[in-house]
Amino acid sequence: MEYIDPHLHMVSRTTDDYETLARMGCVAISEPAFWAGFDRGSVDSFRDYFRQLTDFEPKRAAQYGISHYTWLCINAKEAENVTLSREVIAMIPEFLDAKNVLGIGEIGLNKNTRNEATIFLEHLDLAVKYNQQILIHTPHLEDKYQGTRMILDMLMGDSRINRSRVLVDHVEEHTIEHVLENGFWAGMTLYPVSKCTPQRAADMIERYGPERLMANSAGDWGPSKPTAIPDLIMEMKKRGHSKELIRRVVYENPKTFFSQSKPFVHG
Amino acid sequence: MHERTAAQIIADEFLIARAKILELAATLDRLDRADGDIENSKQLVLLSQGMQILCDSESDKAKRVQLLMSRQYEPEWIEKMAIRRRDVEGS
Repeated sequence: MEYIDPHLHMVSRTTDDYETLARMGCVAISEPAFWAGFDRGSVDSFRDYFRQLTDFEPKRAAQYGISHYTWLCINAKEAENVTLSREVIAMIPEFLDAKNVLGIGEIGLNKNTRNEATIFLEHLDLAVKYNQQILIHTPHLEDKYQGTRMILDMLMGDSRINRSRVLVDHVEEHTIEHVLENGFWAGMTLYPVSKCTPQRAADMIERYGPERLMANSAGDWGPSKPTAIPDLIMEMKKRGHSKELIRRVVYENPKTFFSQSKPFVHG
Repeated sequence: MHERTAAQIIADEFLIARAKILELAATLDRLDRADGDIENSKQLVLLSQGMQILCDSESDKAKRVQLLMSRQYEPEWIEKMAIRRRDVEGS
């Protein structure tokens, strides 16, 4: 079955992974900017990273027939350095006209601090100013519930934000309802140990329905599985769900959401 | 949307759930055999409280375990952190 992975950090993966993804039915990827595993020292480090995301990765993906899209930001972990964050935010517009940029992301919170919230709000200003879609990272483990509620407070406190153009990622059982009932899109991340399994994702689809809901692998440099979406497809097939329902979650929904950005042309 | 019956789910998932209970039991045995005292460990208390949720008669167990393991949300966090509000309605 053809599918789109809406959140996959291919800069951390090998070219062999692109081939495997293509063989498993992946036709498009969106890659949000994220933490490199270490704090970067200057705005030029981010400029090079954004060149990689907007120039090199689309070419690597294209070798296997996969369309590559991206989102730009400074991530929440590095937002504690407010000075650097502001330099990066000021530089991002240099790349917003690149042909694979869908918007600003993955912005969000990590440890739910004041500096993180400040930089999150400044990213919102950037997205509004340039009419960009937004992709949001919610925190891990014990910080997720509090951080997700804080993020929703900031989004809903800003009347400029069009909720149908915002994807809130890494939802789990205790946060999905808050995201969906307030009109945002929600992404479930299939990630060993720290996030959601294909079985629990299938449970959430059964419980909340497919409206504004999608799934991703968030594959990166840590323990993660870039082919996790085919695992969800298999789980839903095993449970007897229709091809139409599965396709809606893994293909049609990301396509509908991304189609709100001009560069998205897939399908 | 197709929904499996309870009988189908128990048939499909009994062995999977059995294996998970055994993993949990073996972890507790490992702790029991190990040197050192963790009676006051917050993590051990959370695991114990989580297991109580599994055994009670209430529903929404996954969500309740998640909330048990979560930091609390304070609605007045914006004021406490002195964050500038972005409500620009009418501007």
